[in-house]
Amino acid sequence: MNPSVLQRIASGDSAAVRECIEQYGALVWSLARRLSRSPSDAEDATQEIFLDIWRSAGRFDASQGSDKVFIAMIARRRLIDRLRKTSAEPPMDPVEVLEAVAWADPGRAPETSLEAEQAARAMAELRPEQRQVLELGLLHGLTQSEIAARLQMPLGTVKSLMRRGLITVRKYMNIDADGVLSEG
Amino acid sequence: MMSEPGPQDQPAEAMVDLLIKQVTEGLAPDEQRALDVLDSAVASAHLREFERAAAAVTLAGSANREALPADLAERVARQADAHFAALAGSGGGATVTGLAAARGAAARPPASAPSRSGAYGWLAAAACLVLAVLAWNRSPAPSPPVAELAPPPAAPTPPIAPAAPPSAAQQRALLLAKPDSLKVTFGATKDPAAAGVSGDVVWDPVTQRGFLHFVGLAPNDPVLRQYQLWIFDGGRDERYPVDGGVFDIPANTTEAVIPIHAALPVLSAKAFAVTVEKPGGVVVSGREHVVVLGAAG
Repeated sequence: MNPSVLQRIASGDSAAVRECIEQYGALVWSLARRLSRSPSDAEDATQEIFLDIWRSAGRFDASQGSDKVFIAMIARRRLIDRLRKTSAEPPMDPVEVLEAVAWADPGRAPETSLEAEQAARAMAELRPEQRQVLELGLLHGLTQSEIAARLQMPLGTVKSLMRRGLITVRKYMNIDADGVLSEG
Repeated sequence: MMSEPGPQDQPAEAMVDLLIKQVTEGLAPDEQRALDVLDSAVASAHLREFERAAAAVTLAGSANREALPADLAERVARQADAHFAALAGSGGGATVTGLAAARGAAARPPASAPSRSGAYGWLAAAACLVLAVLAWNRSPAPSPPVAELAPPPAAPTPPIAPAAPPSAAQQRALLLAKPDSLKVTFGATKDPAAAGVSGDVVWDPVTQRGFLHFVGLAPNDPVLRQYQLWIFDGGRDERYPVDGGVFDIPANTTEAVIPIHAALPVLSAKAFAVTVEKPGGVVVSGREHVVVLGAAG
């Protein structure tokens, strides 16, 4: 198997750095735009995320998941960190005007990873309120308290919906391409 | 494909809620402390799984992606060049005494003031340090944007891995022998990770290179926590110590030498501090876990 772009960066392939920016720039930028408070904030966040990627490339292990998921994990960590350290205002408009989430179409979106397809299937299986809570928390960066306030739900209910929803996604992600559940 | 932790390792609901909150919005200091006292091996395994699930949902829900603006892409590329050139200039970055990795530091952007509880702990620990350290507790003003903080432009071709550089221990020994280098002995705090630790730092103000040296620093699980170095620079605003990068202490490591990769030029190093932070380090330390401190004489 050919080494991934992250493995090539870790091994000192300088061309892989540009490839990585080209390959994942849109992903990082889109996440930064969605989970930042302003375009300039998103630009700063994007630069930080790529620095984190350069630093962390040596830790990428292809047996633990795809490079796309690895990069999305790094981006999420940095963006959450930034959100926590800036103002208490959520990074988005009220729930009524949230942009519609564009879900990957399982089996028809070659740019996504197997994990993303599994996650999309899992999300489609969730109860509507579980899916809504996960979308608001994971895709729009609302805190559990903010979700509770906007959906007028008790905080405990939000936590419970998020817990069950994410556990369901985890279970789906441990089902391999042949439909076999991986065992611990 | 990665497997889930076994049924015997299923965490309590409270731990799951903390882990999910960490993955979705980050934890407050008291929540972080509550998670710290739980079983770290189980927490680590489940945290990885939840992070992976959250990232996969994020990917799946981001099918429509906006292209990275060309000027920003160019800035990212220039920053990468500078980052890898700095790594190459310091001897390749990582290595030594069984140490997994010491990653280069980088420019960090604006952030808000630290929490009061964290500031209190830091104050207590830093009481014997120079004013620069104490001043770190005060509310920081907005710092310059990333572009201004980025390392100076470097050669456009980023050579990443020079052939067989001397080990970090060897480089440290050479630096210790230089008459102009700064040597600082660390003092341990009451943080659990500092129990029984001794260490020092050697820093060359001319070449901007240096090494941390520790004996007995507690190993960390890089999935949960990393150590982060801060350099207090007499030539800079005292509220913004220079980020010296994050590093790990692998299991069964008793002695470690870690190369320092300061994100910014350090004009006059006054003090050094190591904190425990989330993976990848933080923009501004909450200072809940200050492990060692050392001030230049």
